[in-house]
Amino acid sequence: MGNLLVNTRDQQFLLFEQFGIEKVFDSEAYGGFSKDDVLMILSEAEKMAVNDVFPTLKEGDEEGCHFKDGKVTVPKCFREPFKKYSEAGWINPMDSPDVGGQGLPHTAGYAVSELFCAANYAFMMYPGLTHGAANLINVYGNEQQKKKYMEKCFSGEWTGTMCLTEPGAGSDVGALKTTAKRLPDGKFLITGTKCFISAGDHDLTPNIIHPVLARIEGDPAGTKGISIFIVPKIRVNDDGSLGEPNDVKCGGIEHKMGIKASATATLNFGEDGKCIGELLGEERAGIKIMFQMMNEARLGVGMQGVALGSAAFQHAVAYAKERIQGTPVWEMKNPAAKAVTIINHPDVRKKLMWMKAHVEGIRALAYFGAYCMDMSKISKTEVEKGNWEGYLELLTPIIKSYSTDKGLLICSLAMDVYGGYGYCSEYPVEQLMRDEKIACIYEGTNGIQALDFVGRKLGQRKGANVMNMAGLVQQTVAKYKNNPELGKAAATLEEAANACFEVAMFFAAAGKGGDFIAPIYNAGKYLDMFGDMVLGYLLLDAAGIAQAKLNAMYEEKGLTTIGKQKGLQRENQDAAYYAGKIASAKFFMNEAVSTVKARAEAVKANDKSAMELVDLAFTV
Amino acid sequence: MNIIACVKQVPDTEAQIKVKADGSGIEEGQIKWVMNPYDEFGVEEALKLKEKNGGDVTIVCVGPARAMETIRTALAMGADKGVHICDPAFDNADAFVVANALAAAIKALPHDIIFCGQRAIDDDSGQVGAMLAEALNLPQLTLVTKLEFAGSSVKVIRPIEGAQLSIETALPAVVTCQKGLNEPRYASLPGIMKAKKKPVDVKNAAAIGVATDAKARVAKTVPPPARPPGKIICGDEPAQKAAELGKLLREEAKAI
Ligand SMILES: Cc1cc2nc3c(=O)[nH]c(=O)nc-3n(C[C@H](O)[C@H](O)[C@H](O)COP(=O)(O)OP(=O)(O)OC[C@H]3O[C@@H](n4cnc5c(N)ncnc54)[C@H](O)[C@@H]3O)c2cc1C
Ligand SMILES: Cc1cc2nc3c(=O)[nH]c(=O)nc-3n(C[C@H](O)[C@H](O)[C@H](O)COP(=O)(O)OP(=O)(O)OC[C@H]3O[C@@H](n4cnc5c(N)ncnc54)[C@H](O)[C@@H]3O)c2cc1C
Repeated sequence: MGNLLVNTRDQQFLLFEQFGIEKVFDSEAYGGFSKDDVLMILSEAEKMAVNDVFPTLKEGDEEGCHFKDGKVTVPKCFREPFKKYSEAGWINPMDSPDVGGQGLPHTAGYAVSELFCAANYAFMMYPGLTHGAANLINVYGNEQQKKKYMEKCFSGEWTGTMCLTEPGAGSDVGALKTTAKRLPDGKFLITGTKCFISAGDHDLTPNIIHPVLARIEGDPAGTKGISIFIVPKIRVNDDGSLGEPNDVKCGGIEHKMGIKASATATLNFGEDGKCIGELLGEERAGIKIMFQMMNEARLGVGMQGVALGSAAFQHAVAYAKERIQGTPVWEMKNPAAKAVTIINHPDVRKKLMWMKAHVEGIRALAYFGAYCMDMSKISKTEVEKGNWEGYLELLTPIIKSYSTDKGLLICSLAMDVYGGYGYCSEYPVEQLMRDEKIACIYEGTNGIQALDFVGRKLGQRKGANVMNMAGLVQQTVAKYKNNPELGKAAATLEEAANACFEVAMFFAAAGKGGDFIAPIYNAGKYLDMFGDMVLGYLLLDAAGIAQAKLNAMYEEKGLTTIGKQKGLQRENQDAAYYAGKIASAKFFMNEAVSTVKARAEAVKANDKSAMELVDLAFTV
Repeated sequence: MNIIACVKQVPDTEAQIKVKADGSGIEEGQIKWVMNPYDEFGVEEALKLKEKNGGDVTIVCVGPARAMETIRTALAMGADKGVHICDPAFDNADAFVVANALAAAIKALPHDIIFCGQRAIDDDSGQVGAMLAEALNLPQLTLVTKLEFAGSSVKVIRPIEGAQLSIETALPAVVTCQKGLNEPRYASLPGIMKAKKKPVDVKNAAAIGVATDAKARVAKTVPPPARPPGKIICGDEPAQKAAELGKLLREEAKAI
């Protein structure tokens, strides 16, 4: 077994066997890469993640962040790894060499990111937000802003944030109260309070660059009147040196369930009327611009679900192979039976299988999102490009919320496998579970993601994205329908896909008939069903590839009996991996996808008990 | 300054080693290969010397085609170029053949200082560095944990039992590196991309003109004998159990 964070074999399968990212290497956009390069990059990332970042997980959690005399300190053990991480170029591997990146394909970049996120997500929020903020300036900033702010963020000299949330504007960003007042020199005076700002204040770097959503005086209410400003913590002189403090004061940090090493700050802008911001992009285009960072962050948060789920799973498997407890059920009648490792107990084994199938599924989903970015970048026609972008648009809320909901369940199951020890902080799974929960909440709660999915994404491009997705699923179903080993899984997937599309029609019909509540009321449930269906597709696709490779191995070695084939799986890692991949698909289809149809029926029954109830009746 | 670092590709320390059924070696198919950890110290020291004093670092490696990956890793860490001595004739090479091959390749290169690991973690023979120094007729500084460069000479620390030696010698010299010398860096992402353009000279045995007949031959590879099961001392009285433990340690294990 490899590291305790991520199954690197599965990463490599996704990159080189399932998605085949070698095809993007041949393109003009990614011409400089080979498989060997990507393998070396992953191997170096793994080394740093395992040896330098992972050791900060527990220490960072225990030390946490502190607020004293208006200043925030982060765990001391973050300093060295942050420096190493930035210096090695990990903040922006996927960006263009013009801005100090390496132009790495996103699919490979996501694999790198998973390794680091699994090692310590709270740590990763500092470079992650820094990248998001710098990339906003890269796309929307003018040359001077890029020189002044972006370069130092990409290099990790400074960090960045995203400042949307206010006490009165959480899910409803449009309700924000922060204002911007025009100054004669074209800059703006910013006044207002932002809360819950990750990496909002800290002592890792001398300056912090805040992209801040605010309303220019006189602009209309709601999201249409919002602009975005670059607000540095310390003002930056034209020669790049640091000037005066910019009247951005930290009012305190939150005490949280998890990601304790990530400082979540309340920021008061312009308490003394001296906070200066520079407009980024056009006036009143703030939401559109910030959406670039939000989409990036949503995929990043989805990765939090994948990575923490993965780390919890890897730990649980290792523990289950070591912990001796209980005699095997088939020795029930033998009083002298010896206790065995708990991986032998059917219940534990099934939990591990559930975790394995879901971890592999949400990993495949996240990487597929990245793959769509790569494919759209190398597309030769506008239609092709639109289709790849369409998949990503459609899947972004699923990647964000499905992966984090399942990630949490995976952590919870890992704790079950550890028994009482899992609940105690001596072992890492309880922290992984605490660190994971926030992923369901920030970056748009999973409830809001479901609304985005049902309300916006399903109907986008007149439903073309959904139709394309249906096409992919159908192709794969057709491919394996008559396959003796995978035929049943394919049939289950087909049934689930049909059920999902029927519900989409039901929603459309309900909306047309004036029943707007039906889709909104069922949004979360529907996203979950759709997510199960998409995972089913990705896992079946993978199983087919694995099956062909495994059979080729059997054939080459002349292994015709099940006994001999199992023998190969026991001693050959590739054979074991492929067999595991087939099992994941079959298990997942039977365990999760098979219930989609029943859930669809429940949705279509259009029960609205919760809506019909008066508030008082919830609890008298 | 012309700095040479010799590297060997070895199985990852965490790789599960399986001996081939016929005892002719180990199963290589599923092994993850890495740079010998002691060689990493050598590469790091070479890079530090270069960063401080200028010059250029050449990686020299004897190994099969797959060892190119290890050379590339060293280049990605920051070395400038590589020489890969690659020939099926070296498949059964012993320390003597490897040292001679390295020496032949290094003779053709300008060299002020040569770094080796103190041993390789696969066969643990610990001879190549010393033989290389002999073959080049250069002073050798072995098991070095600290190195100071002073223009035309180096001063090093070498631990010995209960003390340490401080040794100084004129350059060129061969240095074999021990844990503690430094903290090897990771390859950076830009480093990995730059490494692609760095030259690696691949040479066979004939090109460097060395004999490939080994002096030593591996007769057979066998896995270590299975460990006998541990003994659990039972009983309720700690004092009694301690007495039993003492007895066993003295009489059976002969450890005290
Ligand atoms: C640790 C942490 C870090 C954070 N980091 C950042 C950051 O870096 N930058 C930043 O700007 N913000 C950040 N946030 C804020 C985060 O994005 C918000 O907490 C989140 O958007 C929810 O807003 P809220 O907490 O005000 O909850 P509310 O908006 O009050 O929501 C409460 C509940 O009501 C539901 N709800 C609200 N409105 C609707 C609706 N219209 N339809 C259906 N359901 C609805 C929500 O889904 C949720 O279940 C962070 C928060 C935390 C806890
Ligand atoms: C906060 C806390 C308070 C506690 N309080 C008390 C207390 O007051 N008194 C007390 O006596 N104990 C107490 N416990 C102990 C608790 O009851 C045990 O932790 C629990 O019974 C599980 O045992 P374990 O932790 O050794 O896990 P294990 O027995 O090692 O179980 C690990 C995993 O293996 C599974 N497993 C084990 N054997 C089998 C089997 N035969 N078949 C199938 N699956 C199996 C388990 O379901 C679990 O998933 C406490 C524990 C905690 C964490």
